[in-house]
Amino acid sequence: MVTKAPDKILDALGDGTRRAIVERLRSGPRSVAQLHAGLGVSRPAVSKHLRLMKEAGLVTDRPIGTQRFYQLNLEELAKLQAWVDRFWDTALDRFKKAAEARPPRKEKS
Amino acid sequence: MMETTVAPVRKQIDISCTPEHAFATFTDGINDWWPLAVHSIGGTDATRAVIEARSGGRIYEVSSAGDESLWGTVLECDPPNRLVFSWHPGTDPSTPTEVEIRFEATDAGTRVELEHRNWDRLGARAASTRESYDSGWVGVLAAYERAVA
Repeated sequence: MVTKAPDKILDALGDGTRRAIVERLRSGPRSVAQLHAGLGVSRPAVSKHLRLMKEAGLVTDRPIGTQRFYQLNLEELAKLQAWVDRFWDTALDRFKKAAEARPPRKEKS
Repeated sequence: MMETTVAPVRKQIDISCTPEHAFATFTDGINDWWPLAVHSIGGTDATRAVIEARSGGRIYEVSSAGDESLWGTVLECDPPNRLVFSWHPGTDPSTPTEVEIRFEATDAGTRVELEHRNWDRLGARAASTRESYDSGWVGVLAAYERAVA
């Protein structure tokens, strides 16, 4: 199967505020209020970013009491890595074949 | 918890040749192996790739019209042991990811280890270069995988 580039994830990461949110979520789930504190953008803006991140699959959310907590979607993040992984598999496989096919030589051409 | 947002991609292959030959093939011999038609910005219009194997050297592809498209810049060049380069094919060079290739002599030849890292930086350019990704590497990679599947 073709490993598609996780465009939505890439897009979602293409914003400083959203990357700051990702940084904060690395240590565990956070509420909107916790994420908002010190971010330097309005709370509605944080919510908007979170909504986009959720749509992209970058985060998931769940209600705890009256608050909504967000956490990183590690499965989706892994797709980004898998895409690059696949890319290098192809290139390195060809590299190996070329290196073994060409006669070893002492000096560069 | 994850230690980084996106972990480095690590690859390892064993090749039955000397590190010198492996290093030379990787750099000077890139056109012998790099699947240019599908792993390039220009796709079928790309005619060759170049790795200038020296610190500060450029890594780029050349189109049939002679236009050059930069893929990255060599950050460290220590033949035949190590090659580190920034990597931003078709994207904003101000926020590159980074690739390190290590060549280590083994009894059977050479172990080549690849690490592609600094993915957090990718995010900084992801949105603005979405189109490049779509029309460039991603599209050609997908086409290639369909071709060889």
